[in-house]
Amino acid sequence: MRIRVIRDKCQGHARCWAQSPALFELDDEGYILPADIVVPVEQERAAWLGAKSCPERALVIEQDGKE
Amino acid sequence: MPNPAPVPDHVPPDLVRDFSYFTGPGMCPMRGGDPQGALADLHDGPPVFYAPNNTYDGYGTWVFVRAEDQRRVLQDAETFSSHRRIFEKALGYDLPTIPLEIDPPEHGAYRSLLNPLLSPKRVMAMEAANRARAAELIDGLAAKGHCEVMTDFAFPFAVGVFLEFLGLPQSRREEFLGWADKQFHGTPEERGEAIRTVIAFMEELVALRRREPAEDFMTFVVEARVGGRAMTDKEAVGMGALLFVAGLDTVAAAIGFDFRYLAENADAQDRLRADPGGIVLAVEELLRMFPTVLMTRIAACDTEFDGIAIKAGDRISCPSMVANRDPAEFPDPNRIDLARENNRHVAFAYGPHRCLGSHLARRELVIAMEEWLKRIPAFRITPGTAPLTYGGHVFGIEDLRLDWEVG
Ligand code: HEM
Ligand code: SF4
Repeated sequence: MRIRVIRDKCQGHARCWAQSPALFELDDEGYILPADIVVPVEQERAAWLGAKSCPERALVIEQDGKE
Repeated sequence: MPNPAPVPDHVPPDLVRDFSYFTGPGMCPMRGGDPQGALADLHDGPPVFYAPNNTYDGYGTWVFVRAEDQRRVLQDAETFSSHRRIFEKALGYDLPTIPLEIDPPEHGAYRSLLNPLLSPKRVMAMEAANRARAAELIDGLAAKGHCEVMTDFAFPFAVGVFLEFLGLPQSRREEFLGWADKQFHGTPEERGEAIRTVIAFMEELVALRRREPAEDFMTFVVEARVGGRAMTDKEAVGMGALLFVAGLDTVAAAIGFDFRYLAENADAQDRLRADPGGIVLAVEELLRMFPTVLMTRIAACDTEFDGIAIKAGDRISCPSMVANRDPAEFPDPNRIDLARENNRHVAFAYGPHRCLGSHLARRELVIAMEEWLKRIPAFRITPGTAPLTYGGHVFGIEDLRLDWEVG
């Protein structure tokens, strides 16, 4: 599982970070780091919850290369 | 209220609805009302409509009902500008409301400056002091067996946090509370006077911190550079005054709506007392159900939204309380589920103007509820009373009387 990060859409709500600070790292202003996130299998649920909690829809879940 | 502006020619008559945040059903101040719930049935009507008299100064607005449409509007700041100059007009005072009424790209420079001061990590550093403040206020009430939440707790707490953030001594709390009371609950004249007092206060603070720098917010602001030049006094005052207007009433109202819900739902109190870990999600769900802010934008150019012609200068209203009950976004939207997940509500807006204070506000609400439930046993609305609720520019609640048994 991968999370595609659409950095332009991130507005720093930090809802993803609230779900999993280790997976969703923020910069000093509170916006998500731009790189896509490769999710270890054991963290898939946390990643899914984090991505789903983004109010801006800046995080897209990709499973086997598909959305 | 002033005479409404005429409906512009480009608005199709079938999209005009008799609707107002100020005078519509459930919007006027009333006892025991539910102003957010009163708007939920907008989802049964058209997704976009025109309300001819829908601002405090008599302007018409488009109203965007759906969450997805509000997201499109609020994310597109180029077409839908925030430069409404509400402050300027209300005060007859030329003061930029930074960053609320500034558009990108200038907006980004101010936000980059301010974001780190209220980032999630920075807010964590304020946690202990804010918690101690809440605990102290509630300890002062517990033995009385009753209180009026807004004046006895919500406002003193929010003002205390604000003073701490500004780096001002708590001894100024009473003075600030007086201004806040006039600013948010006064007559139009009192409001004007209160905000002018706040501006004068910020002007003094700016001058002081230019003379005598300290380790505090205003020193940081006056020493900061934006776009390669020094911050002007006017900009610094505009920021300080906006924080006062944006960060007190909103937090206090959210505490009020939260505590009212708990007072009316003894089982929810019991569950959260037994499992305080559930409070974080509960606060999110109550932010979804009882948000208070209307986002207003002005079309910067002629545009079209799903076939509807919008002309430059048209006002667009995105009520957070309506998007938050969109069945397309939230299953069973009118049901309160304190454990709701995927709760991407819009209480703090979408887009670049996302509430700068959202991380602090969230912690304030969580701390308030945690410390309250720890210290106050089962509480209810005092029999024979009902809180005063209202719609309008910022939805609110007042005179919320609670009682509990003292053991
Ligand atoms: C529960 C409490 C709060 C709620 C519901 C709330 C809600 C909002 C909303 C909806 C906006 C966007 C307005 C728009 O786009 O037109 C906003 C902006 C803002 N809020 Fe809050 N707010 C709260 C607390 C705070 C606090 C505690 C602070 C300050 C410490 C604060 C400071 C600001 C500022 C500075 C802006 C302007 C941001 C910008 O335009 O870039 N707010 N708030
Ligand atoms: S939840 Fe979305 S908007 Fe918020 S920080 Fe994460 S990616 Fe950015």
